[in-house]
Amino acid sequence: MGMHGDFLQLLKEQGYTLGVPTAVAAGHTLTNATTILAFKYRDGVLVAGDRRATAGNMVMYDRTDKVLEIDRHSVLAIAGVPATAYEMVRVLEHSFKYYRRTQLQELSFDGKLRAVSKLLKDNVPAALAGTGAVVPVFAGYDLEQGSAKIYFYDILGAEFEGVEYAVSGSGSPTIRGILHYVNTWGEQPLSALPEEQAMVQALRLLTSAAEFDSATGGVNREASLYPIIKLITGAGVQTVPDATLKPLFESQVVRYV
Amino acid sequence: MYEEPYRWVEAVGNRRQYLDEQFKQGSPVVALTYDGGILLATVSKGTPKLYEIYDRLAIGGMGHPTDLEKLRFSFLEMAHVEGFNRSPSDVTGSRLVKYGIAPVIKQAFEEVYKAPFIVRILVAELGQKPEKDALLTINYDGTFEETTGRAVLAATPAVQTKMMSYLKEQGTVTLSLEQALDLALRAWAIGSLAHQQEETDQQAETQPPASGAGLAAAAIPSADALMAHVRGIAGGRTIECAVLDRQAPGTSKYRSLKPAELSRLLPKSLQSIVVS
Repeated sequence: MGMHGDFLQLLKEQGYTLGVPTAVAAGHTLTNATTILAFKYRDGVLVAGDRRATAGNMVMYDRTDKVLEIDRHSVLAIAGVPATAYEMVRVLEHSFKYYRRTQLQELSFDGKLRAVSKLLKDNVPAALAGTGAVVPVFAGYDLEQGSAKIYFYDILGAEFEGVEYAVSGSGSPTIRGILHYVNTWGEQPLSALPEEQAMVQALRLLTSAAEFDSATGGVNREASLYPIIKLITGAGVQTVPDATLKPLFESQVVRYV
Repeated sequence: MYEEPYRWVEAVGNRRQYLDEQFKQGSPVVALTYDGGILLATVSKGTPKLYEIYDRLAIGGMGHPTDLEKLRFSFLEMAHVEGFNRSPSDVTGSRLVKYGIAPVIKQAFEEVYKAPFIVRILVAELGQKPEKDALLTINYDGTFEETTGRAVLAATPAVQTKMMSYLKEQGTVTLSLEQALDLALRAWAIGSLAHQQEETDQQAETQPPASGAGLAAAAIPSADALMAHVRGIAGGRTIECAVLDRQAPGTSKYRSLKPAELSRLLPKSLQSIVVS
């Protein structure tokens, strides 16, 4: 089967299964991961996520990375059960590399999308049992077409193209409305924003989500804790360092009311 | 008839002869460490001979393309499954060769009813630190050697020795990529000339074939003459180069040198033959 360059198939032949459906025992609360967003800006696509992981009322961890680089031109942002999500990212990362190295060509953008769908489909039993629901956003730069693309999924693996933007996670209803408003009636559509403006917009959106959703972590300046923001352009994925976000946040996001 | 031990030894001996014959037309492969990683170089006709295996692993091969392809897939499968199940840092060239590929090649070689793999493989592994860089070569009978700094594949052990001693004579100074490429191509030319020499010797039958003694005694051509040889042969073929680049962004360190980059790095006399 190696000839087809399908890494997941190879794993399955060795007895691997992705999601094992297990009912959640009463009284157990699973860890969850929360607000992620992606939108197209002038040079490509911006993907951002807060850093809080919660289990019920408990904050499990405040430095989670939910925006995960799969290869040089694609990113999977995750909302849902981190255990399953991280496993999916590991499978995808190896699948894309394996395909490229065996077939001596890059997996097409559509092929990558399909791979994400397939994983989610395999995970349906676990998702429905309550132990493994993952609702990701896949963003990347399609080198063949020279354009940035955003896709979002439901837990069953259906894939939808987010033309201008996509959101997921418990804090997403808040910012979905804002994104629609800004994109339609703002001074300029999101896709025209220059890089810096786009980053400011992302910080404001995540701060708004944190305002209304207890499971979304905002910016914690004392702990120097900023969201993860990644920019994907034709040149590849680039993570924005905290040192860049700090001044932007202080000058254009904070309001002393 | 192979049940008798003597017959089996004879059969394996015949096999060696047959296999040695197969590599005569092959193009040598050279691997060298340089200041930024490891360089692999060869001159290929048609099918590529250098491949990416894993984040920090690459192979170069000589022999039958289909056999090389089969083993390349075994390398890829083992490396990726191991990297997924354990971690990428557990995927090492030495483990893949010693417990994975070499036993398979040895078994095929000794099962005299079946076809052996017609391959010689060079495995290059970029360590986390330069002193951890490793090079391995596997022969068609499954024997392997581990070296550091430089390694080559050639048609016969005599040619291999000749290329290696040429590389060693150039000292142990750390090379830039440009210098490493220059040296690798000169070593390739030594190997390629030695292959030709062995052919003519055998045809003339004036000397015992592949004794190695005559080869070692033959004077080493000047650097210019070696480059002229590369130019003469590479015209109708492709200079194929790849690096494991320590500075490469991300986890995959392999990069095959595209014509534009290659012609910038090549010595002036060769730049014109790279089609960009």
